[in-house]
Amino acid sequence: MLMLEAEGKALLAGVGVPVPAGAQLVRSPEALAALPLSFPMAAKAQVRSGGRGKAGGVRRCDSLTDAQAAVAAILGTRFGGELPDGVLLEPWLPIAREMYLSVVADGRAGGFVALYAPEGGVEVESGPPPLRYEIGPARNFRAHVFRKLLEGVEIDRGVREKVVALTRRLLQVAAAHDCTTVEINPLIRLQDGSLVAGDAKVVRDDAAAFRHADLEAALAAERAREPEDVRRCQDASLMLVWLEGEVGLISGGAGMTMAAMDAIAAAGGAPACFLDTSGNPTPAGFGLAFELLDRNPGVRAILVSMFGGGLHTDRVARTLVNILATRGPDAKPVVLRLQGTGSDAATEILKAAGYANHSSLEAAVAEVVARSRDEGGRA
Amino acid sequence: MSILLQAGARVVIFGITGRFGSFSIRDLRESGTAVVAGVVPGRGGQSVEGAPVFNSAEEAVRETGADCALVYVPAPLALDAVLEAVEAGCRLIAYPGDGLPVADAMEMRAAARARGAWLVGPNSPGLISPGKAKLGFAPSFCFRPGPVGVISRSGSLSYEASYRLSQAGIGQTTVIGIGGDPVKGVTAAEAVAMFHEDPETAAIVYLGEIGGTDEYAVADYAKRPGAKPVTALLVGRTAPPGKKMGHAAALVGGYADTWAAKVEALAAAGVNVARSLDQLPEAAAQSLARAGLTPAAA
Repeated sequence: MLMLEAEGKALLAGVGVPVPAGAQLVRSPEALAALPLSFPMAAKAQVRSGGRGKAGGVRRCDSLTDAQAAVAAILGTRFGGELPDGVLLEPWLPIAREMYLSVVADGRAGGFVALYAPEGGVEVESGPPPLRYEIGPARNFRAHVFRKLLEGVEIDRGVREKVVALTRRLLQVAAAHDCTTVEINPLIRLQDGSLVAGDAKVVRDDAAAFRHADLEAALAAERAREPEDVRRCQDASLMLVWLEGEVGLISGGAGMTMAAMDAIAAAGGAPACFLDTSGNPTPAGFGLAFELLDRNPGVRAILVSMFGGGLHTDRVARTLVNILATRGPDAKPVVLRLQGTGSDAATEILKAAGYANHSSLEAAVAEVVARSRDEGGRA
Repeated sequence: MSILLQAGARVVIFGITGRFGSFSIRDLRESGTAVVAGVVPGRGGQSVEGAPVFNSAEEAVRETGADCALVYVPAPLALDAVLEAVEAGCRLIAYPGDGLPVADAMEMRAAARARGAWLVGPNSPGLISPGKAKLGFAPSFCFRPGPVGVISRSGSLSYEASYRLSQAGIGQTTVIGIGGDPVKGVTAAEAVAMFHEDPETAAIVYLGEIGGTDEYAVADYAKRPGAKPVTALLVGRTAPPGKKMGHAAALVGGYADTWAAKVEALAAAGVNVARSLDQLPEAAAQSLARAGLTPAAA
């Protein structure tokens, strides 16, 4: 879960990483009058979407009136569709230079990697790739190894030494709070030579929520904000992502669900969703899947594609026959493909109920794409 | 030879008294794998499906000569179980579970490598060397012995892709599910290196997806002089950016994560990239032909 800047900076400050002094979080322009403010200062939208700076989410304020207007404007703006959860007020920093520093969990490193770029800020992604120090588990960090690498890209000895010391602290935060990313961009060198974290992007590992009560609570709050469809799927152990297309897809396993999406596109259709039912291939799971797809007006036809490995497709067939018999008036055309374990029995069960079972994904996809076009013509 | 898992493997299952544990014993035995022990703290002295249960991995290894571990415990307990298996001397450990904290995956991987052992997983069905042994829960009927080494980030895709290869007469030395998480035990880079060294493996099939960097490691291998022919299928061409497609690592952030970028890199490295699942057997047959082999009778 991505933390807000103010939350991330609080974690960094906790291990002694310098952050702007006297920062305050406000949730209304009226709150400013009672605060001890000094100008100039920065008003920064607290949002999770990227590109905040370019979208007017960071404003310089030179007076109280200025600041009240900035806070009101920011709180009323959606950034990537998201309303800010407060505005962070910080002193306007006398910037001499902007750098980039992060610690990220990385598959190639088998653990953490430290990334450093001598030129940071909003344009860091368009610059040359940052210096990469593969650490592995946090305890493998070696200052002397990183220092040597830094000598190749950072000419300022003072900055190098501070970056080395900061990196150890970022790793400390990552290890203590189960973070997959701890990023400071920009890492600011002030005119007096000191370094300060201009921003903080901290991503915590949702899988570690069982050992962090605060993360568990934050995830619960986030789930409550999800659209109802997605939340119901999470509660039922289904994985749902809505897409733009017209072919409703009920599948099993992340890889095969993506393969089926790709096959639908290759056949000239477009998938309406990524919907992986492998976490709950039961009457409750499939029932919810059909309910959501039947109700979505964008869905014109539905493909159920399950390859039985450990899953017994004859049981799936029985479940589907029951669901298909009890769907409401908005029921969409359905194409079935149950293959693998128990599929001969599945074909018999479906046939007895008047449904055909396709023996290949490709044939089933061709039919469902054609059916979705028929329905589109009729609609 | 196959990679990692050979005939004669002696398996100890952690969490053997759970429902999935007893299913797994029967399933592994049907595939010809010896399940010699289970480990459940506090349940030592019992037996499940004829396999003796021990309180610790150390006892299980000492008493039964177990050398491979299959760990069926929930994510909060997984790190401790894998460390125990490593320190008991198991040389191969599969942890199939998903939802494992990344930090725990780092620790598992580092501990295994420090002892010269290999971890497979997390978030993977394990691995199978068809006709020899299985460590995990990949459905045995999808596989047949043969000359192709298969590496997959996705369990479900590896079953169906291997089934199609098997139907086309293209059997497998080993099919390894490296898993859908960013930090893991055996990586794609390590798996291709193992298949390269395996004399029975003539060609490699890689099943990948969007997100992560495994595909680039496969491309790096394919560029090497003397590399074995590689066929690849990548899924997620239609996945929108910024949305996680089920797997923790299946997420398009920047361009390098996309299907198009990865296909381009693999093709430029000389990998035969199948454009869809139904084209995979034909593409793999072409790779085998480059190695001087033809598919067996289907």
